[in-house]
Amino acid sequence: MSDRLRAFSGQIIAVGVALLLGAIIIILVGESPVHVLMTLLRGAFGDQEKIAGTLLQTTPILICGVAACIGLRGGMFNVGIEGQLFLGGFAAAWVGFTFSLPAGIHTLAALALAVVAGAAWVAIPAFFRARYNTNEVVSTILSNYIAVLLTSYFTIFLFKRPGGWSETPPILATAYLPEIFAFSRLNWGLVIGLLLAVGVALIFRYTSWGYGVTMVGSAPKFAEYGGVDVKRQGFVVLLLSGAVGGLAGGVETLGVHHRFMEGFAPGFGFDGLIAALLANGSPVATIVTALFFGALRSGSLLLEVDTSASREIITVIQALIILSVSAQVLIKRRGDSQAGERRWKF
Amino acid sequence: MSNAPGSPPLLSTAAMAVELTGITKRFGAFIANDGIDLAVRRGEIHAIIGENGAGKTTLMNILFGLLQPDEGSIRLNGEATVVADPAAAIKAGLGMVHQHFKLVPSLSVADNVFLGMEVRRHGLIDHAAQIARTQELSKRFGLHVDATERVGLLSVGIEQRIEILKVLVRGARTIILDEPTAVLTPQESRELFQTLRSFVAEGMTVIFISHHLEEVMEVSDTVTVLRNGRKVATRPTSELNKDELVRMMVGREVSFDRRPRAALHGDIVLDVKDLWARDDRRLPAVRGASFAVRSGEVVGIAGVAGNGQTELAEVLSGLRPASHGAAWLKGQDLTTLSPAAIRQAGLAHVPGDRMVRGVDRNASIAANTLMGRQHRAPWSQNGVLDWKAIAQNAGALIKSFDIRAQGAGDAVKRLSGGNIQKVVLAREFTNGADFLLIDQPTRGVDIGAQEAIHDEIMRQRAAGQAILLISVQLDELAALADRILVMFNGRIMGEVAGDDADEDRIGMMMAGVSQQLEPA
Repeated sequence: MSDRLRAFSGQIIAVGVALLLGAIIIILVGESPVHVLMTLLRGAFGDQEKIAGTLLQTTPILICGVAACIGLRGGMFNVGIEGQLFLGGFAAAWVGFTFSLPAGIHTLAALALAVVAGAAWVAIPAFFRARYNTNEVVSTILSNYIAVLLTSYFTIFLFKRPGGWSETPPILATAYLPEIFAFSRLNWGLVIGLLLAVGVALIFRYTSWGYGVTMVGSAPKFAEYGGVDVKRQGFVVLLLSGAVGGLAGGVETLGVHHRFMEGFAPGFGFDGLIAALLANGSPVATIVTALFFGALRSGSLLLEVDTSASREIITVIQALIILSVSAQVLIKRRGDSQAGERRWKF
Repeated sequence: MSNAPGSPPLLSTAAMAVELTGITKRFGAFIANDGIDLAVRRGEIHAIIGENGAGKTTLMNILFGLLQPDEGSIRLNGEATVVADPAAAIKAGLGMVHQHFKLVPSLSVADNVFLGMEVRRHGLIDHAAQIARTQELSKRFGLHVDATERVGLLSVGIEQRIEILKVLVRGARTIILDEPTAVLTPQESRELFQTLRSFVAEGMTVIFISHHLEEVMEVSDTVTVLRNGRKVATRPTSELNKDELVRMMVGREVSFDRRPRAALHGDIVLDVKDLWARDDRRLPAVRGASFAVRSGEVVGIAGVAGNGQTELAEVLSGLRPASHGAAWLKGQDLTTLSPAAIRQAGLAHVPGDRMVRGVDRNASIAANTLMGRQHRAPWSQNGVLDWKAIAQNAGALIKSFDIRAQGAGDAVKRLSGGNIQKVVLAREFTNGADFLLIDQPTRGVDIGAQEAIHDEIMRQRAAGQAILLISVQLDELAALADRILVMFNGRIMGEVAGDDADEDRIGMMMAGVSQQLEPA
């Protein structure tokens, strides 16, 4: 257990360093870090509506984070969650406004197609990875741009709501994900996310399949030696990761927007990936890190009202977190490296 | 660019081109070089020989400034020098030809040779001058390279000559070649040796890394032998024979007593027929191996590391494809099966690189003992793992294999090398397999654990398992094996009965001298 503690202490130090640097920047723009922090906290957790708002922002980050965790466990870096989210979102909306089905079944059908869309979209990079050993980081990043523009094309040219903005017709109420409280758009998507995080953690821990995949991620040569089909599991893991990415889009569409809009969920896929990295690839810890990023997002709304800092300061802090988390990983690996050791000497 | 070999060398009267004193280099806990002294006389061909992992390349990387030593000092041409990086080494007149070439395929030979130090005329590259210079050097040292050819069209042998030209053009007077013959045909190797001799004839110095005895005997003036990161000796080549060299390379630290045994004549479990396989460079590494292993028998494979043993083990465990031939394990041809199917067919494998293949260092002992049986009862039921049973089983293994750990939850990386190996043995020997493939079971393991591991192997033999034991330690094979096969250059050179394992005969075969006297 002390190993796990040590792993997380590195992450916590990384976040601390990032917040410290953020504080310095806030001072440089002539604002008080304490004031900004208090405003952020108030904006995120000030009253029940604010808390619900934070949880609403947390939901897609959490689901995307779980998607990233699945990939990371199996040694696959799925950076295409953003794209899978967009396609999943569109697929769910299409089921929502095209078919008329009984309530509940309609929702499930829409979510199912979102899952299929996400998986199908990542299948292309996953295939090239398994067959030709293409670097999945590059191919999944690139697939994001295609996905975002493809859904824009669908929305503007094929399914545009007559007279409306760049958005599809609204989905039928039968396909909605029900809201939990009357005072907020917070919906059952959060519950889906929480169940998913716990479920995925259990699968990795308690199934034979999860054991093999975890070994592929942490010691691929050992897994290969032990008879795990490393290529095949890599493919499966990417597919599942993409499926959950698609689900995130479906949940966002059915729970919040009730239609597909161009650029409907900016950056949730990337925030999810960062949350997963910050959580060391643990789905349960991702609940906490996703909440952290959700709070930053929702708290920042109040920032421009009550302080002289721009809400972009949140983006800056996020960038600092990415930098310090990656630096922390490099520093940790420095001890392990042999041939590459010169690379980290400055 | 005046310091080319045509111009007068940096005049120095020092007799030693290179002097390394007390060089030590550690990578974490692993000591790659341990207090190595090396003196290379000006104008000699100095071979550095040792098994894979003996520290040859690390030492040369330190000399060339690619690595910094933790301790020790370097003198070049009699002057104390800090070789901070390769640029400093080049400036001091050193040149290195690496195992892996770094050439631009789309450029011509001359452009590659002058890459980064182009000859300029009116601000433009003077191709004519570069070509002329390349041709001249090529002719002078018998390299036979057409300077105008595109590199992408040339063979590996020619690429190596281009790398040598690059080194020459940069003014090297001392040239380091890291395993230069590994990629060459015998004919090309002979031509390379001619070139090396022409270098020393011009007063240059050559340092030549190899693990092939024949070529070291053929081309070098002086030999330095490294073993396990230490220098064993530096001797004039003329005073040595191959047999002595093998002994210095392989060493004899521990002497094991031959284990008593009852003769068991079981059925053939593994039957290997004319097996061929390529290494990672796509060169043949196993060349037509044929042998059989019976149940209740330990068959040893001896040989200097790097003569195809690793590749043989990888083919038998499904981790490397065979290019030809077959290996029958109880009637199933392993060369057609996946690693999982081979395990199913009855293989247990103790891999040579146990830290990479044998365990997940970050995982617990329990998780490590699960590998390969995660789909089987009682460890799992309908795909769901029973961690309680797994931990209990791991606890029992810790006890019966005397693994020094606090418990099944301990991370493997906290254990010593010997105990990590015991974790591997505990897992593999309790898999119910009939054929045990055991590769370097005691490398890097302390004496106490070595004894325990040998005991365990003999217990498996007594239980009727068929065992193929690959080891670079002759004593280990002499202690355990019923028969010893000697591998050299991918071939099985001959066989010796374990009861009268004669080190001289085995040594000769390890050096590549085949035994015609074998009784048929």
